[in-house]
Amino acid sequence: MGFTDFFTDVVSSLGFAEAQAEAPAADVETSSTPQDEPAEKTEEATEDSESAEETAEETPAEESSEEAPEEEEAAEEEEEEEEEEEEEDEPEDIKPKLEEDCANSAKCAPYKHHYDECVERVTRQEEEGDDFKGVKEDCVEEFFHLTHCATACAAPKLWRELK
Amino acid sequence: MLARSLLRVPNRAIARQSLGKSTRASSTAAGAESASSPFHLTLTASLATAAAAGSAAWYYHLYGQEAFASTPAEEGLHPTQYPWVHQRFNKTFDHAALRRGFQVYREVCASCHSLTRVPWRSFVGVMHTVDEMKAMAEENEYDTEPNNEGDIEKRPGKLSDYIPAPYKNDEAARAANAGALPPDLSLIVKGRHGGCDYIFNLLTGYPDEAPAGAAVAEGMNFNPYFPGTGIAMGRVLFDGVVEYEDGTPATTSQMAKDVVEFLNWAAEPEMDDRKKMGVKAIAVLSGLFAISVWVKRYKWAPIKSRKIVYSPPIGPRR
Repeated sequence: MGFTDFFTDVVSSLGFAEAQAEAPAADVETSSTPQDEPAEKTEEATEDSESAEETAEETPAEESSEEAPEEEEAAEEEEEEEEEEEEEDEPEDIKPKLEEDCANSAKCAPYKHHYDECVERVTRQEEEGDDFKGVKEDCVEEFFHLTHCATACAAPKLWRELK
Repeated sequence: MLARSLLRVPNRAIARQSLGKSTRASSTAAGAESASSPFHLTLTASLATAAAAGSAAWYYHLYGQEAFASTPAEEGLHPTQYPWVHQRFNKTFDHAALRRGFQVYREVCASCHSLTRVPWRSFVGVMHTVDEMKAMAEENEYDTEPNNEGDIEKRPGKLSDYIPAPYKNDEAARAANAGALPPDLSLIVKGRHGGCDYIFNLLTGYPDEAPAGAAVAEGMNFNPYFPGTGIAMGRVLFDGVVEYEDGTPATTSQMAKDVVEFLNWAAEPEMDDRKKMGVKAIAVLSGLFAISVWVKRYKWAPIKSRKIVYSPPIGPRR
């Protein structure tokens, strides 16, 4: 039966992990390839955040109030770090933040601009109430364009973070 | 008809003239006269071309353009595509994610959505052990066969039973959900445009507030991915709703990803085996092809290497 064994060996060497019916041991879980990377990545991320946190803690104290933009950046960094740390105790989703960043990026700027303009226009209509003589409109279409742009931009980033 | 009858008269005249002039045109060599094609042929070809182009344009005008009667809101936002690992042709399901996804289904979705086409036994060896699944099945009660008196009693579930539905029937489900029927999730990934992407987007895409001016009916929620944007199901996945047994942070998107992968498994439990069969087929067929090439070479070797020599008969000397 050496000949058929050769084929099973070839197939098994292609990386199809066998499904274990036994209770999941910790070793078995980590041995399968697709799970390794995210686990390592999260470890790296937490390490990075810890090291970055030390530097970030020092910077706001040293900076004067004149350097406002830099301070804002530092504050944003701190927020990110806090989120990553909280994931260990109380999980917080990174998706809304990623999408907000994407919506504010230059890529989605036209959609954001149109959406903001539409919101302003429609809220003015609603304030005018019955006095308003024109076509009633909503911002659903503008919202769609903005959301589509933001989620498409955030999709690969989100998948890097998720397990 | 009018155009044709108008055309015919000069055509015939021209044809008669040309016939009278060169009676033996078919047999004689082409002269200088026949080198330039007669006017009526050019005219006919041009008109035919114009008619063909015109009728095609008319058809496009009548039937060619697709009518889009629905607004973008009625169509729903098309789901964003995510790079699902399990959808690649050489990847399997992440079975740890399936196990987490089933936990999410049991703790969150199962209160409203049924999963009636999946039996307890199908989990064994895929994401749970036999003992775990037996324990889960026994938590539920099923009808027995009629006993000697004809009464139907209750018994604890077995591995061969199917996952019980939260409601007795569709009417009960509608009555409990203000008229909205929570669909069965067994084949939902196959049953919706966009599949995994659609469900992930739907679960995570509830905005904090509906965009300005959007009409949201009472008892409905705004979700851009649901066609019509008004969905009866509210947002159910919040950070930390589930506590994963393997310690994965249960964020909204993590839970959505896991449960979508689980639902993909429920719809396509054969996927891992299907891909394995695909690789087997590639291995076997490429092996057979290689053998056939060698055999062809072997069989054709005498034919390709032969030499045909004509040795003329040696006749008597003249």
